[in-house]
Amino acid sequence: MNPVLELSELRAGYGTGDILKGVSLYVERGKIVTIIGPNGSGKSTLLKTLIGLVPVREGDILLNGQSIRAFGATRRVRAGLAYVPQEYNVFANMTVLENLQISHEFAARKGHRPAGNVLSDELRELFPELAGKLATRAGNLSGGQRQMLAFACALSVRPDLLILDEPSAGLSPKYMADIFKSVERVNKTGVSVLMVEQNAVEALAISDQCIVMANGRVRLDATARQVEQMDLHELYLGPLAEQAA
Amino acid sequence: MITQTLFNGLVTGAIISLPALAITLLFGVLKFPNFAVGSIVTVAAYAVFALNVQLGWPLLVAAVVAAALCGAFLILVDSVIFRPMRDSGSITLMVASLGLGLILENLARFFYGNAARSFDLELSMPFRVGALRMNSEQLVAIGMSALLMLAMYLLLMRMPMGRKMRAIADNPSLALVRGIDRAQVIRWTWMINGTLLAGAGVLIGMDRALEPLMGTNYLIAIFAAAILGGLGSPLGAFVGALIVGTSSELSTLVLPPGYRTGVPLCFIAAILIWRPQGLFGRPLIRR
Repeated sequence: MNPVLELSELRAGYGTGDILKGVSLYVERGKIVTIIGPNGSGKSTLLKTLIGLVPVREGDILLNGQSIRAFGATRRVRAGLAYVPQEYNVFANMTVLENLQISHEFAARKGHRPAGNVLSDELRELFPELAGKLATRAGNLSGGQRQMLAFACALSVRPDLLILDEPSAGLSPKYMADIFKSVERVNKTGVSVLMVEQNAVEALAISDQCIVMANGRVRLDATARQVEQMDLHELYLGPLAEQAA
Repeated sequence: MITQTLFNGLVTGAIISLPALAITLLFGVLKFPNFAVGSIVTVAAYAVFALNVQLGWPLLVAAVVAAALCGAFLILVDSVIFRPMRDSGSITLMVASLGLGLILENLARFFYGNAARSFDLELSMPFRVGALRMNSEQLVAIGMSALLMLAMYLLLMRMPMGRKMRAIADNPSLALVRGIDRAQVIRWTWMINGTLLAGAGVLIGMDRALEPLMGTNYLIAIFAAAILGGLGSPLGAFVGALIVGTSSELSTLVLPPGYRTGVPLCFIAAILIWRPQGLFGRPLIRR
């Protein structure tokens, strides 16, 4: 086992109550791990806690074996995490080129990429649609194109782990398929992926591992193939979910 | 008569364009209207006065040093006053800036009194260009503000730090997860504010005189310019300032001079009703 990310008994939340009530899981290097679960189970909060937007109350986060619990969001990105939020995931009032430049400049400071190569051949190959849109204001892109841009920006920093919050939310079926293909292609470049998804069937088809969350806890941690055979309704709402509460 | 009034208005516009841009930049990054801007202009002008008159330094050197000192002072003020309140919302920060303005204005009054003072400058004789009567201070005001505006435009549109400022203005939490160091951007924003406000202090001091209300007197015109041009647009701040400056001066041709201050207020009302994003601002996209 060679985990890129390990969480142990993570507790976090807003206000006085905990939303995450002791989450432990790991993401094996080079794999795609999908988190599914009913609304309000803490999936998005978990991702925000990982990137440093929600503070950790208890437990630890290890990235490449190093604790990043005390790091702020910027330092976690520097350590190897990249996060694509579900909404507002591009700088809408800036052009596509400027969005890419911001990530590229950060990557250059990190020492990953020489200056002057904003849309690298690799990114151009992964997201060919962006090449012709560099002067377009990002907010004027279609939902799918915006998601591609958000992926490209996140990948510019050469992360060890790409964290995606519902990448297919609000997209047409055509774009949804494109997005999942992009996730697969990104993963093939060696980047591990941890994503939250509501479109469980499509997400599981490209995943190696699946984590089912309910009530702020991990209810099931199994291979994607095993979960594909299960009844999702039962998984989300069945007696086991009540036990997890 | 109209041409002369128009020229005087352009000079006023050039002067207020600098604090208007300072407000625009700060509003973008920290999301609050800084009502201390007038008093900061005053304090910066007195800092230039101290170096220029009391220590005998040349005005240009005094202005450059005072701009750096003003920027450093604002970074200190931010860490003591604004940073602890950063998460308390725009209204709290705005009220804090009002308080800061009162403190600074009265500090200036405490140390230098209410009497009008002036920089150590050689008296320049007005000269004529066609029908226009002008002096070298007015040309310096127009030239200096145009130069600073160009520098700010290049910074915001061409330099990495400018892009980061615009990114934070656009989406602060995304900026954080894209690796932008917010604290560093905030320090730069205050430093640039210091430069612009010290520049305005020098220009007002040269055009008129130094007294404790010298900056605050321009406050409504400054905000009108920033809002008219479109908060977040450096070009807008410049053009907005020129429009507010010239129309205020032109109003004196038909109205008693006491109503001059009312003109920027009319601009604020009109722009909020018909074009809230300002002349050069684009409607914000949130998606």
